[in-house]
Amino acid sequence: MTARALAPWIGKRALGAALTVLVASVLIYGALRLVPGDPVLAVTSGRRLTPDQIDALRHAYGLDKGFAQGYLAWIGDAVHLDLGRSLTYQTSVTSLIGSRLGVSGLLIAYSAVLAIAVGTGVALVSAVKGGLTDRIATIAASLTTATPPFVAAIVLLSVFAVGLGWFPSTGAGTGLTDRLWHLTLPAVAMAIAAFGVLARVGNAAFADELGREHVAAARSRGVDGAPLIRRHVVRNALGPLLTVIGVLVASLFVGTAVIETAFGLDGVGSLLVTSVSRRDFPVVQGVSLLGVLLFVAVNTLVDLALPFIDPRVAARGPRR
Amino acid sequence: MTVQDKKTAADTATRADALGIAGLGLAIGSGEDAVPLLDGVTVRVGRGETVGLVGESGSGKSLTARSALGMFPRGARATGSVTVGGVDVLAAGRAALRDLRRTRASMIFQDPRAAINPVRRVGDYLTEGLRARGVPSREAAATALDLLEQVGIRDPRGALRRHPHEFSGGMLQRVVIAGALSTGPELLLADEPTTALDVTTQAEVIGLLKGMQRTRGTGMLFVTHDLDLAAAICDRVYVMYAGRIVEEAAGTALFSAPAHPYTKALLEASPSVHGDRTEIRAIRGRPRSLAEAPSGCAFRDRCPLADDDCAVAVPAVRAHGTSAVACVRPEEVTR
Amino acid sequence: MTLTIPALRARAARRRRRRPLGVTLAVAFLLVAAVTGALAPLLAPHSPNATSLLDSLAPPGTAGHLLGTDSTGRDVLSRLMYGARLSLLAPLGVVLLSGILGTAAGLLAARAGGWVDAVLSRAMDIVFSFPSLLLAMLVVAVFGPGLTAPICALAVSYTPFLGRVVRSVALQEGARPYMESYRAMGFGELWTTVRHLLPNMTPVLLAQSALSFGYAMVDLASLSYLGLGVRPPAADWGSMISQAQSAILQGSPWSGLIPGLAVLLTVVSVNVLGEHIGGSIARRGEGT
Repeated sequence: MTARALAPWIGKRALGAALTVLVASVLIYGALRLVPGDPVLAVTSGRRLTPDQIDALRHAYGLDKGFAQGYLAWIGDAVHLDLGRSLTYQTSVTSLIGSRLGVSGLLIAYSAVLAIAVGTGVALVSAVKGGLTDRIATIAASLTTATPPFVAAIVLLSVFAVGLGWFPSTGAGTGLTDRLWHLTLPAVAMAIAAFGVLARVGNAAFADELGREHVAAARSRGVDGAPLIRRHVVRNALGPLLTVIGVLVASLFVGTAVIETAFGLDGVGSLLVTSVSRRDFPVVQGVSLLGVLLFVAVNTLVDLALPFIDPRVAARGPRR
Repeated sequence: MTVQDKKTAADTATRADALGIAGLGLAIGSGEDAVPLLDGVTVRVGRGETVGLVGESGSGKSLTARSALGMFPRGARATGSVTVGGVDVLAAGRAALRDLRRTRASMIFQDPRAAINPVRRVGDYLTEGLRARGVPSREAAATALDLLEQVGIRDPRGALRRHPHEFSGGMLQRVVIAGALSTGPELLLADEPTTALDVTTQAEVIGLLKGMQRTRGTGMLFVTHDLDLAAAICDRVYVMYAGRIVEEAAGTALFSAPAHPYTKALLEASPSVHGDRTEIRAIRGRPRSLAEAPSGCAFRDRCPLADDDCAVAVPAVRAHGTSAVACVRPEEVTR
Repeated sequence: MTLTIPALRARAARRRRRRPLGVTLAVAFLLVAAVTGALAPLLAPHSPNATSLLDSLAPPGTAGHLLGTDSTGRDVLSRLMYGARLSLLAPLGVVLLSGILGTAAGLLAARAGGWVDAVLSRAMDIVFSFPSLLLAMLVVAVFGPGLTAPICALAVSYTPFLGRVVRSVALQEGARPYMESYRAMGFGELWTTVRHLLPNMTPVLLAQSALSFGYAMVDLASLSYLGLGVRPPAADWGSMISQAQSAILQGSPWSGLIPGLAVLLTVVSVNVLGEHIGGSIARRGEGT
């Protein structure tokens, strides 16, 4: 496959991603202007501010300018990693997010690895073995798909942290090993629903490939066992699987809000929750923008990877 | 000749055969719920011989062909015997079966686009079987290149690096044929190899297949629903109906003297440039699978000659002229 | 494989036709939840807000408190029954709203085609890129805690789920000959759409709505769990879990686990139901 054949595909994806980020950022910025009444007064209610401070805020939000000008100023600063100052913490939003990104990033990576490894593993085994294994896996996947993360969190907390005392119930720990130990229960809680989705989608994708004639044809050539599964089943199911994995991993970012709150972790997710309840707009906007950026970036990367996994994609569009 | 001698002679005869299927029965499930698929199927393909297996969809012809590779539907039980080049397929273990598929028998499928993994390169497809046998990759690539040239693919070197969707159906079927021949098999199973291709390509592919088979002395079981095609290219033809063989005849004899009412009906149902028939007569009713076939002769509910005798038992295969036929009164058909 | 074994297929179809046990259980559970929620004032043994510090954190099975009490001594069973009202009605609101939006957007995109389709499809892609819980939290930041704004936000967020399905079904059905013949007979676009297209996609809409209900329930309960949803003293299952958090850390998890189980079972039930409906569409599509 030549780069030229792929150029329109890449261009279209990149353009779509840019448009999405643009619209989403307008929405995130515009949210403040939707606040009923005077946004600044509503947002600062409960805090004692001098008229000077209020004017400064009004200026900082660009509320003294028109919408377009205000947006351009805000997004221009955001591109330079300046997201304004937090009303609650009185520090720059960028450094606030930056200092908490480590915990959240590790949590997301940890639970993504767990969900992908266990989810695709179970999917493959159940698709190949069929029968009772398949039925048990299907039931397990149905239950876990429907498990809300906070329910998973309280069950894990009460069994493994409070009941058995194997894991700590709160805090993120220091040093890598200690941190992984602290993050194990949160990562599992966050991975459970993603595991269920992957186990189901993966099972369907693997079973679909297993039933195809090219697999029967490969068997007829004396290819079987692990090489058959690896080269003709897993390899072919990779495209649809990767698409789902992209969406799942991207949505883990928002999932940290619930999990970090449940396990008392100081990450970006819990920052978002406190900022929303305190209406600390610069932080809410900053984290929201980051969330949308990550979601779009991950899904675009997956889209761009698809033609390399399935050479037919660029010719006829993705399988959705 | 002593009994011992007879036995040895029989053994040698089967060993010489590329394919020997004798009294093959196949059923899924057991007891009340069992669904029979094949009954007493006997098919022989000598070395270098081209043998046709003809029937409508659901007659069990694909099942029969696949049994040569030990490929049965999930949960199916097979009885009787299947040998390929003397190897007992039904008794073969996993490793022996794999070995058989890698060396002795190859299958060509109906739709090349479905039969080749779409995400792997053509080179991968051609060398996979060789590599699995332990042929070094460089040597396997050279063999693949040579084969692509032989089946008439332009720019074979470039073709190795291309993906299946970059080829036309006819070209892809040539690739499949190259792949089937790459292991130097004694038996070629061609399951409707031209049905998915357009007419002009069909002739080319058939010509190629026959040529390759003849020069290599490979036995071929040619599965098709097209009686004319089978009669034209095959030395002998088996006609299947509802999971049983109903007639075996030389390719030429089928036209001049069909011995089973079903064969005759098939011939009358298809327009032909060979004969002088002008009237096309459809067969009444619809094709049956073994599970839904009536007792006795499975064809009797569609047969114009059927009477009470046909319901008594499944007619035994007996000689009639140069053919063998499973019908109680073939003389009325030939007349 | 070209193996067509009609007898086998008939046997498989016979086996499938029986209603699976899971579906029966799912319907039964949803009915019980809905009825106890609706009749909570009649059925609940206690007032949902009556505190009694002496009886706090009683385990399930305690006399007078079948499912125990929470950290302020409120009866868990009564709160569960009252909580069912908001917990079930709020997601229902999301589903109805997004159903209307999605159907309208999908039908419009499919029937109008051209740039309308392009713009609507792109808009749905963009909405899809905005994680639903994030959008819900954003509107909470704008309008303050409560359920009304999140319900609207989630409805918008789920519109693409339905809109995309409706659009593709409408395109498929619209291309069928019978639609063409109605048009040829002089019936208007709107009439053929409402009279013939909509009924044809009802099963798809139902299946997709059931799945959306599950998502909405989890998202809304998450908001309540985070303290951004219902405002006390009103309660739903999410806020019950939230209030049980400290009790869980003290080793009395029941007042949190029971509403958690209620959420889990509801979501499993609607998923099972949605898949059953979706599955029967797929089977009907096979033309058996």
